[in-house]
Amino acid sequence: MDFDDDMILDQGPAVTITEAGDNFVNFALQKVDLSFANSLRRVIMAEIPIMAIDLVEIEVNSSVLPDEFLCHRLGLIPLVSKNCTEDVEYTRECDCDQYCSRCSVTLSLHAKCTSNEIMKVYAADLLVDHDRANPWVGTPVITDAEGKGTVICKLRNGQELRMKCIAKKGIGKEHAKWAPVAAVGFEYDPHNKLKHTDLWFEKSIAEEWPASKHAEWEEPAQEGERFDPDAEPDKYYFEVEGVGNLAPDQIIHEGIKVLQTKLATILNALGETKEDAGERFLPDDDVDMGGRNDFDNGYTTPGYNGPSYGNHGRATPYGATPYGQSGY
Amino acid sequence: MAPNKSTEEPVAAPASSQEDETMEEDVALQEADAANPAIYNLGDSRIQLLPGGDEFNTSFEFQKEDHTLGNALRYIIMKNPEVDFCGYSIPHPSEALMNIRIQTFPPYTAQEALNKGFEDLIALCDVVADTFTTERNAFAANQESQMQT
Ligand SMILES: [Zn+2]
Repeated sequence: MDFDDDMILDQGPAVTITEAGDNFVNFALQKVDLSFANSLRRVIMAEIPIMAIDLVEIEVNSSVLPDEFLCHRLGLIPLVSKNCTEDVEYTRECDCDQYCSRCSVTLSLHAKCTSNEIMKVYAADLLVDHDRANPWVGTPVITDAEGKGTVICKLRNGQELRMKCIAKKGIGKEHAKWAPVAAVGFEYDPHNKLKHTDLWFEKSIAEEWPASKHAEWEEPAQEGERFDPDAEPDKYYFEVEGVGNLAPDQIIHEGIKVLQTKLATILNALGETKEDAGERFLPDDDVDMGGRNDFDNGYTTPGYNGPSYGNHGRATPYGATPYGQSGY
Repeated sequence: MAPNKSTEEPVAAPASSQEDETMEEDVALQEADAANPAIYNLGDSRIQLLPGGDEFNTSFEFQKEDHTLGNALRYIIMKNPEVDFCGYSIPHPSEALMNIRIQTFPPYTAQEALNKGFEDLIALCDVVADTFTTERNAFAANQESQMQT
């Protein structure tokens, strides 16, 4: 597949997917500013809510691993988190005293080794309590052929584990176990024409710095070409690698949604002091209620297969670039 | 949680709830004024106006925000032709504070520019989300047809 600039007729943002699989999506985002592309990357890594084990009540642990070591390993087990943004509450915002089925998922683990062979305890051995926000949230992600998942611990004859794990909703900013991605690759300007980075070299940059895999998508600088100080980056290569909690396209959509919710919440709050600016963003039936409105309704993007797009009729004012010139 | 006296009272006298709300706002204002007379609250307590500005030259302080919001907002506000200058900074890496400075051409106010910045960024997000979905569906359909042949 080739990136063909001529294919992009309008000046609005463009996306070209180069590769996608069950756990990853590689795409190029074009015609947006570096700041926006970077915001998207940051929000994907740090601010998409997912589920992870956060509280462990240990009854028995006679394994060789200390309690906190085990808890850390349990926290890192990926749990299915589809729709948890809407369906699951944050424990700190929930009405319950400690935790409940609306803000947590309980997984119990009981394993005892009774033979002379070393026994492995796997993520699949976690028993999920069915009293939860939706029928899939909190189930350990298992992708290996044997269906066992990650190893939590090994037990010798007579050793035992018995514990109750409470999974809660959180974001990667608080702890990396709540990050929906293993990594987000982010690259632009593979030939360093913009000189945003200073490549150290002994004799020759070309010989000492191997070309990136995205180098072939862009023209290298011509011999004797003058440096253009006004040039701006325009094409960003994302490689989003999920861990299984969310499908890769869900990660992108959730990321954009988190960013929008962040913006809408502040805009809405600003509107409380300055009515004329904020009011038109409030849903009609909420205008008279005073106080703070839940802004989610106004700004969620349509569902993945929503009928509103798929053609070139853009619903937002951004199709027609508001400030003249080329798009964002 | 410890019972809060001021929140209990309006329940006993619902007729005066409107008054109590305005009173609470006044209290919030007074508290902010006491801490620093030049800083007063905007609607969201996470945003404050920093001293030393006027309607057209304003510095906003955002609590619990960082480069994720700051850089994108700065860019989109600068795109507004009514805006003379916009810049953001994170004054100290260990404080979760982000300042954004907006200078506009009167009569357009800095607050209007800020609001428009938010609206524009939300709209941009919509377009990117839609574009991604369209492309993702096309990619999936293409893969499927390749599998069949
Ligand atoms: Zn709860």
